[in-house]
Amino acid sequence: MSASKLFFVFLVLLVFLVPNFVPESSASDSDSTSSAIKQAEATMVSAYEAVLEAEQVGANVSDLLARLNVAAENLANAHIRQGLGDFENATRFANLCYDIGEEVRGEARKLKIETYRPYVTSLLIRTIVSNASIIGIILASFLGWHAFKRRYYKRMLRMKPQVD
Amino acid sequence: MNLKEYRTVFLVASLALMIIATFPTLSMVMSSPSSRERFSEFWLLGPEHAAENYPFNVRADEMQGPIYLGVGNHMGCSEHYLIYVKFRNQTQQPPSSTASKPSPLPPLYEFQFFLEDGEAWETPLNFIIRNTSLQKDSIFVGNISINGVTFPVSCTSTWDSKNNGFYYQLFFELWIYDLGNSSFHFHNRFVGIWLNVTV
Repeated sequence: MSASKLFFVFLVLLVFLVPNFVPESSASDSDSTSSAIKQAEATMVSAYEAVLEAEQVGANVSDLLARLNVAAENLANAHIRQGLGDFENATRFANLCYDIGEEVRGEARKLKIETYRPYVTSLLIRTIVSNASIIGIILASFLGWHAFKRRYYKRMLRMKPQVD
Repeated sequence: MNLKEYRTVFLVASLALMIIATFPTLSMVMSSPSSRERFSEFWLLGPEHAAENYPFNVRADEMQGPIYLGVGNHMGCSEHYLIYVKFRNQTQQPPSSTASKPSPLPPLYEFQFFLEDGEAWETPLNFIIRNTSLQKDSIFVGNISINGVTFPVSCTSTWDSKNNGFYYQLFFELWIYDLGNSSFHFHNRFVGIWLNVTV
């Protein structure tokens, strides 16, 4: 066998053997886990903000928070696994957290709008009724005052001065 | 009563009626600030779900617990909490409630959860001290398992002649999410148990 053929065989063997000696948790695994966790964290924060906004307009957010708790548990597991160098499971947990966070964010926004619509309608009706009442009170006061003034003057004119 | 006085009565009565008429609208847009105190509860209970019989004399490879860790939300709205579980010897820095600073030690385990106002959260926690070795007047703890997950700690504690033991502390810091700063910050609350480790 010539030297070039031997070199070729050696090269082929090297291609098949090298992956076995490379550690599984390479730098790229760590980087992709970090970015998956960052993405999951950002989604959790925006989902939480959306839930808080829905809560502020009076929506019942218990179900959304229960689901967000599952996402939070996954995120905590992702952090723990990342700290232990188990990047595969860390990424898996981060992705689970991201999926739930996205769903909750969307539903929280819908819930906010659904709760907000009757609130705005009620506010509009109350504003119209209040304004109409104020106009009515002003008119009634104005007319009432003039009627009262007329009666007052009439009564005064009917009075006869008496000299003791 | 003269006419001027009657006019004043008329004006006051009209104004009072106008205020009453605007009340239903104003009550919807103006909310009165709550005067109640806003705070979070943080507790640690022993295996009988009471503040007693906490694990203290701990042997290597023996399961300890469960101890119960709990949080109550009285902050006026839903909150996002984080609990860091940390482990230290007597010389390592604990959290400080006076300086509002957490311990600089890295967290081993963490819990994250959301709580509605007025709600409480509680979880059991088991732990096992592992890979201990006695070296002259000190004990080395190599690992600690928390809820089935093992963490390297590599922590040495020297003999405390005053209290007769090799002491370590397993402690828990409560953090809360601050929307203004978009990050968690130490909520100035921590609980912990002292452990006298024997080989």
